[in-house]
Amino acid sequence: MGHTWVILKGLLEYLNLNVVVPPATSKRTLNLGAQYAPEFACLPLKLNLGNLIEARELGADTFIMAGGVGPCRFGLYAQLEKEILEEIGYDYDSLVLEPPERGIWQFLQRIKRLIGSVSWLRVIQAIRFAYHKACLIDDLERMVQEIRPRELKKGTADKVFNNSLLNIDRARNKDELEEAFGLARQKLLHVPAVEESGRVLKVGLVGEIYTLLEPFASLETEKKLGYLGAKVTRSIYLSEWINEHLFKGMFKRKWSRKPFKHFAGPFLNHFVGGHGQESIGAGVAFAAEGFDGIVQVAPLTCMPEIVAHTIFPRVSEDCGLPVLTIYVDEQMGQEGVNTRLEAFVDLLREKRGQYGPGRQKKRSSLDRPMTIC
Amino acid sequence: MGPVYKVGLPRALLYYEFAVLWRTFFNCLDMELVVSGKTNKQVLDEGALRVADEACLPVKIFFGHAARLIAEGPDFLFVPRIVSVERKAFACPKVIGLPDMLAASRERVLPLLRPTINLAGQQPGIGLFCQEVGKVLGCGAKKARMAWDKAVREQERENELKAVRFFQMEEKLKEQAAGFEGKEAGVPILLLGHQYLIEDEFLNFNVLNKLKDRGCLVLTPLEVPVEEREAAVSGLPKRMFWTFGKTLMGAARCFARLPGEKGAVVLTSFGCGIDSFVVNMIIRYFKQAGIPQLNIVLDEHTGEAGVDTRIEAFLDMMHWRKSNGKNHLPAHGPHLGNTERAFGIP
Repeated sequence: MGHTWVILKGLLEYLNLNVVVPPATSKRTLNLGAQYAPEFACLPLKLNLGNLIEARELGADTFIMAGGVGPCRFGLYAQLEKEILEEIGYDYDSLVLEPPERGIWQFLQRIKRLIGSVSWLRVIQAIRFAYHKACLIDDLERMVQEIRPRELKKGTADKVFNNSLLNIDRARNKDELEEAFGLARQKLLHVPAVEESGRVLKVGLVGEIYTLLEPFASLETEKKLGYLGAKVTRSIYLSEWINEHLFKGMFKRKWSRKPFKHFAGPFLNHFVGGHGQESIGAGVAFAAEGFDGIVQVAPLTCMPEIVAHTIFPRVSEDCGLPVLTIYVDEQMGQEGVNTRLEAFVDLLREKRGQYGPGRQKKRSSLDRPMTIC
Repeated sequence: MGPVYKVGLPRALLYYEFAVLWRTFFNCLDMELVVSGKTNKQVLDEGALRVADEACLPVKIFFGHAARLIAEGPDFLFVPRIVSVERKAFACPKVIGLPDMLAASRERVLPLLRPTINLAGQQPGIGLFCQEVGKVLGCGAKKARMAWDKAVREQERENELKAVRFFQMEEKLKEQAAGFEGKEAGVPILLLGHQYLIEDEFLNFNVLNKLKDRGCLVLTPLEVPVEEREAAVSGLPKRMFWTFGKTLMGAARCFARLPGEKGAVVLTSFGCGIDSFVVNMIIRYFKQAGIPQLNIVLDEHTGEAGVDTRIEAFLDMMHWRKSNGKNHLPAHGPHLGNTERAFGIP
């Protein structure tokens, strides 16, 4: 899932475990997954299953994944994947990290089984180190998102970022990590780019966590929007997600803000599983911050996002913000998405009332709310 | 004595599961309950216009029924937010978000009565539900609470009456298996699916009666007692956290232990999130248990002949299985009772 592998690998290697990183999610991963997964399952399951098969080919024998207790389907991923893998003859041992049913002790025992003789202090250090990594990577990503619409040669910032990711992955302790981060930051600051002149659009990317964080799953929507001249802000960054859900908001950072779900009323007043409520909340919050538009990305048949999708026209109308919803599944084509994003960005420029420089604050007659479904 | 309101209730989704509950509830509150008519093509078309294309079929039907009720003009449209009806299990996300989805649609002409029912947590959430209903309808929380208690009792009685059928069937099949002559009971078929698919005759092309007409002994999930279902799913490696998933899984597992040859017809709706996982697991379970199954996916298409053909073929297959006593029969050969022609489907 995007750059999550860097963080998890850092965590597990800190605990002296042998980690197999499956090849980056590709067409082959998807084909493998779609072949064995149920037809109407959501895309993340298919990709996940494909990843597991590919990891098996590289010799992995245990998988660790998060779990849940509903109502989103994600809670059953581990179970279903295990059944499917068993059926096609891959015997996997699994460790599912989920809210414990029979007390914290059971949860700790499960972890103990995984880590063996490593001390608990070491575990806490490992978690802190991994979280720190996540925060730094997200800081870099925010920089990249800002540079993308302005850079002179498209793709420079991404190249620098991908390169830096490998350096960060190699960092074994805090000093090395800081050094790798500092270097990456310097390089990004020196990417040749034009000055911000008010032509850059602000687009919020909301939706389901997997499709937001994994570029392959959303057909690189984030990058495409960047190249089309929009500064993209996602509703979910991994470090924020970790902080909010695993540490219950213990750490405060520069980017910290009120969780998006508090903005969702009166449009969506109840938790609907997954990130449905966050999507709506982020839409409302972005509108208040003066964004130009919202792009929602979700896997086809994703239940919480369908709820959000149905409600978005109302949000769009009340907040005066165009919304584009893109569903992804194994039938997706790159060009289809490109065309829709281009059209959407054109529409946003038109809505600003200008194809020239300078930002118009006043709303024109063209400033009607519109939703493309 | 407060005012008497007309309260509209769409005949869709969870209506089929809790019909008795809502009828008794509003009866006790001295309100008039208006339930929309049966589903037809027009309801489906109207619903499909009002909700995202990617939503599942039952939700579209729900929007169709709601639109029809709005046209009838009751005082309130009753769309409870059913988050959970038991401890540690939820309804589907779309059911939870239903009131908000409806409120977001373009025509907002009716006041919605949308109390939340959440029994998942430590504290029983029914007090909040009664407060809200009491406040909106002006009859007080206490009266609502009394009505609720009575309604729950009625619904439970109804459920128990329904659930007798499982034992009757078990009895019958045991007799049959013991070889009593003249006690031919028909092929036992489990019609598996959400209640709103099984009972909506428009949606499922009346599969229930089709099976019955062809001499099958049909069992539906709610006809399996709830205790049996709970016991059957309690041993799963991962606890099922959807109430409706539990119903399906539990019914399938209870059915599998009935004696004799049997089959399952599984109804799913296009785009159903829960079914995509649960039914996949159930079908895998049936395969391991050696129970033949037919999975019919229902969507907006209205071609009945296709469903007929599949049911006929499935039942034929069941009969050959029974008469030949073996699995994996080819689609040609002497067991068809026609030795002169052998044909295959390319």
